[in-house]
Amino acid sequence: MAEKEKTSNTRSGNRIVWITLLFFLVIPHIISIPLATEIMIYGLFAMGFNLLLGYTGILSFGHAAYFGIGCYGCGIAVRDFGFSIWEGLLVSIILGILLASIIGAISIKKKGVYFAMISMAVAQMLYFLALSPLKKWTGGEDGLKFIPKLSLQFPFQVDLQSPFPLYYFVYFVVGLSILAIWRILNSPFGRLLQAIRENEERTIASGYNVTMAKFVSLVFSGLFSALAGGLFFVYLGYGPLTTLFWLTSGTILLMTILGGMHTFIGPVVGVAVFLFAQNKFSWIMDRWQLVVGVLFIALILIFPEGIVGTIKSKYLARRTQSQEIEEAE
Amino acid sequence: MEINASLLINQMLFGLALGAVYILMACGLTIIFGLLDVVNFAHGTFYMLGAFAAFVAVSLFGNFWIGLASAIIIVGLIGWVTETFLIKPLYGKDPLYPLMLTFGFSLAVTDLMRGIFGTVGRIVPLPQFFTGSIIWEGIFIPKYRIFIIFLTLAVLIFLWYFFKKTNLGMIIRAATRDSLMVRTLGIDVPRIWTFGFALGVGLAGLAGAVNSSIQSALPDMGVEITVECFVVVVIGGLGSLGGAILGGLIIGQVISFVSLFASDWSNVAIFITMLLILLVRTRGLFGEAGRL
Repeated sequence: MAEKEKTSNTRSGNRIVWITLLFFLVIPHIISIPLATEIMIYGLFAMGFNLLLGYTGILSFGHAAYFGIGCYGCGIAVRDFGFSIWEGLLVSIILGILLASIIGAISIKKKGVYFAMISMAVAQMLYFLALSPLKKWTGGEDGLKFIPKLSLQFPFQVDLQSPFPLYYFVYFVVGLSILAIWRILNSPFGRLLQAIRENEERTIASGYNVTMAKFVSLVFSGLFSALAGGLFFVYLGYGPLTTLFWLTSGTILLMTILGGMHTFIGPVVGVAVFLFAQNKFSWIMDRWQLVVGVLFIALILIFPEGIVGTIKSKYLARRTQSQEIEEAE
Repeated sequence: MEINASLLINQMLFGLALGAVYILMACGLTIIFGLLDVVNFAHGTFYMLGAFAAFVAVSLFGNFWIGLASAIIIVGLIGWVTETFLIKPLYGKDPLYPLMLTFGFSLAVTDLMRGIFGTVGRIVPLPQFFTGSIIWEGIFIPKYRIFIIFLTLAVLIFLWYFFKKTNLGMIIRAATRDSLMVRTLGIDVPRIWTFGFALGVGLAGLAGAVNSSIQSALPDMGVEITVECFVVVVIGGLGSLGGAILGGLIIGQVISFVSLFASDWSNVAIFITMLLILLVRTRGLFGEAGRL
């Protein structure tokens, strides 16, 4: 029974991954292409973030650090060192891994709230570093500017200035990443992370190296978030300082909860809904942050499982109900 | 710039006054964390509310002391309501929820205040006897900074007395250690929690009121101080009042001296200090010792 349940779960999950990829293939034909690109990039960011929050149960309040370091890393590599886009994204990934290793080494063993506070402090430190002491490299408040025209040389010439080629380039990278995250989360390692979230003591007692598993999950999370940051640079053609701002950390948290942090696809749904709403309504509303804050409070108090989580539990409840009726008959 | 003893002493006093405000903030955060196990992400927001409460009270009544008192009372009441309606429903759920909720609260309230007061800073005028400076042997100390140091000292003595000698204070300490046991003794612990939260944010409100005469009251003033406050309690050891005091003193001095010698780095220095201290002592300077 358990075995059967597991395979059916994996299969329906697999379907969700393919539906997502298909969705992203058609969405630029429905909404504006820049918005669609942004949804994909933030979607990857949120998925990387949720690897830590939803699956391992660790809240990082400074995920802007990874996103920003990826953005600046890729940008500086391309602008000042003449790297290609692929090499720039590789730099993003390496920087993300490095940063996650440093933060992890200092704080992964600590209690949840401690980790959240330290990660936020480190993110704020990077923000201030980019703001003034490293101004020569980062451009301070203005962000990374004076970027040469971006284009791909390998495997074939792609001009990244026009929206559609850019979109499908981002699609390619994000698609591969989503498949990779799916693979990670459905490996024994991914199950171990969920075991840690559910009951850390018992997992330790079962003989697993919990600290190491948490550390690796932080590194994966940092890697994908930094990659999203690198893509964000490619998409904008410049590196804004806001990528490192604390509000970015808060927004990614909100989008993840909005979609549903205990589901695989929830973060992407949250990102899509949030960015779409922001795009449609923010020009009407002067008080966008007020709306966001109230939404935050309402979600935590009423729907902590988010959109996908709530739908899923309703659906599951109905299915078990109908099964019970069938069995009764 | 010539560096001499009087300049250094001057800078040290400046850092002490700065640290005093951090101590007020961090003590509030520590009381809340110790009692409720909640990291109050909106601590800086209550600090901002305190600054505006003082501003409104001083403009209405024209008295500085009424401004300080009303900051504590008004912010404490807002804290009471917040805890009752927003945080209480989350007890017994994931400990990360209150943290996220207070973050949302800080976003919403900050923006609400921006809507009401705009983004222009409001300075609370100082009474006559606090303006100007004392000059002694070439050391140049603004009177108000000395007042801040003594005010914080007075608050700390009050807190010490309250927690060690009064009934309510001892109940709070007991509830911090073992709330289940206290509840078994027939004490309404959720009530105590609400009171602790109000007390903690009241201290933040006082800090904001005090600072509103130096910096101006601004809706956005709360965010950075929240993170700095986190740094203070992480340095000292989360949940330890002694740690909050020591952390506040250290951060005050670090900011004061780094901004003297390398002003570009003054914002970064406190985080580097935190990382260095965490490398040497992973649990903060006080660790769990000196808990409430």
